[in-house]
Amino acid sequence: MINHETELKLQAYLDGELSPGEAKTVADLLRRDAGAQALYQELRIAKSLLAENELDRKLPESREFYWSKIRRQIEREESTLADGLTEPAAFRWWTRFLAPAGVLAGLAILVAVTLRSPNGGGTILALDDSHEIETPLEETSSFSFRSEAAAMTVVWVDSHRE
Amino acid sequence: MSQNLDFASADDKALVRAAQKGGMQAFEELVARHRDKIYGRAFSMMRNEEEAVDLSQEAWVKAWQRLKQFQGEASFVTWMTRIVINLCLDQLRKQKRLRAESIEQMDEELGGVERQMPVVTPNPTERLERGELRQRIDEALAKLSHEHRTVLILHEFEELEYKEIARRMRCSIGTVMSRLFYARRKMAVLLAGLKREELR
Repeated sequence: MINHETELKLQAYLDGELSPGEAKTVADLLRRDAGAQALYQELRIAKSLLAENELDRKLPESREFYWSKIRRQIEREESTLADGLTEPAAFRWWTRFLAPAGVLAGLAILVAVTLRSPNGGGTILALDDSHEIETPLEETSSFSFRSEAAAMTVVWVDSHRE
Repeated sequence: MSQNLDFASADDKALVRAAQKGGMQAFEELVARHRDKIYGRAFSMMRNEEEAVDLSQEAWVKAWQRLKQFQGEASFVTWMTRIVINLCLDQLRKQKRLRAESIEQMDEELGGVERQMPVVTPNPTERLERGELRQRIDEALAKLSHEHRTVLILHEFEELEYKEIARRMRCSIGTVMSRLFYARRKMAVLLAGLKREELR
């Protein structure tokens, strides 16, 4: 009686999954062992019967109905995908706009704090007209302009570099 | 290009090229040509008409979405069959997680009664018409567990090697060999039984 490992080797031999050396060992076994031969025949017939006899099946729906379901599903998923892409695109647009605006606002606050009057009055120096402000650094100067009407402050920093 | 294409007479390659450019009509023709084959493979794995229709339909939707990835190494129908097989395997895995593992099922994994079965020589081809034989083989396949049936389908019908079956079924090659062995032995017994019935 052959063991399970040998049974699996017989099958692997039938399926062409053994190395040449292992295949030769199994072929020798088949020549001298009647039990191995019988099992091999059983496996071989089961394999060949299946390989040649798969039942053909017909889809139990008409071509038009089946296709209409597929097309609707494709359209639904493409629409969902498009919706998903729209939101991040809008978000990206806002990010592009808000990032420089945020930097500009930060810079404006920084300059405003720096340019408070020394007596602690807390007034931003640029009011109705533009004022030139001297800075402690010789190579740098900045200008600020505030429009109350537009509720806007613009700060221009010049390093005097060519 | 797709506007000038005669869909009914065009070969699969031409239809795929047109569909890859967005031609829905070309894709519809591919669905019409291969829908029975794709449904048939889903049914052979799931053994349930409704599930097979749903999974085959899902396979076509996935195919449309991935059509640009199809490079034509294999035929279009082979590529489609692989998609539906993967969907069926995913579905079977989900169902297996939901099912309680019964002792009977575990026994079947290990070979169960097939382990002690005497060797038989099924040869029902002598007495049965081909159509009837196919029907009987299909009925025998339906009596196998999902694991045994799937390994037989992938090996005998799809002609995949042990290694590829193991990869798709997410198990070891040893498990594939063992399942295939017991599945064949059970099929041999079931088909030998058919022969005895025929002789009565």
